[in-house]
Amino acid sequence: MLLYRSDEWYNRLSQEELQKLINQNKAWFERLTGQGKAKPGRALERTGVTVSGKNGRFVMDGPFAESKEAIGGYLTLDVETIEEAIAIAQSSPGLAYGGSIEVRPMADECPLDVRARELAREEQLVNA
Amino acid sequence: MNMNTQNQNGYMLLFRGNDWTKSLSPEEKQKVTDQWMAWFKRLTDDGKAIAGNPLERESKIVSGKNRVVSDGPFAESKEAIGGYFLLDVASFDDAVAIARECPGLPHGVQVEVRPVAGECPIASELKHEAQFAHA
Repeated sequence: MLLYRSDEWYNRLSQEELQKLINQNKAWFERLTGQGKAKPGRALERTGVTVSGKNGRFVMDGPFAESKEAIGGYLTLDVETIEEAIAIAQSSPGLAYGGSIEVRPMADECPLDVRARELAREEQLVNA
Repeated sequence: MNMNTQNQNGYMLLFRGNDWTKSLSPEEKQKVTDQWMAWFKRLTDDGKAIAGNPLERESKIVSGKNRVVSDGPFAESKEAIGGYFLLDVASFDDAVAIARECPGLPHGVQVEVRPVAGECPIASELKHEAQFAHA
């Protein structure tokens, strides 16, 4: 999974620059989907809230659009290795203008399950 | 933010926090996992969740003109994203109500709720600018 992190750097581009980038992005994405390497991604609106606390009692505005770490969208890749995913991230046209792309393997299984199993195994070893 | 907002493109829940399981016993961990899976299954059966995945802890960041690759965000980060749900619900209210059911919340998980955009915000920006230019 590619997570796009950035502030609203595109507000700093001219109309010509923006149009050029949009065309590059479109061509880039069409090439990847044509090769079967990317599934449709989604862009996220730059608004939202964060829910936290027991029973979700805290609902706060944010993350703020100005944050360079804020997630602006994602893309799901169908590739075998993280190296290939990184190479695809590196070929993303928007990187030249700012922001960053977080590359994360999608888990087959919830990490909580895996950790619970590890702990159970350790306990068995101690008791054995 | 206005909680009555409608959005036909749905909402995304981003689960933040990676170190919250450290203080749990194996039994507690199993319990939260089972609750989480049952929660996702119920939402899927109700047609409210259309996708969801946990993410592995392994993580790289690609950035800048030179496309530098670095490690991160670190698994210990409270802000790190551990997984997501894509929701097919019509209002922000519904999405927040679902976020508040997250079984990880009592243990310190934070759930970010974000409306999914119909089109790339960069493209909307461009249209907006064009409108101004012709006004």
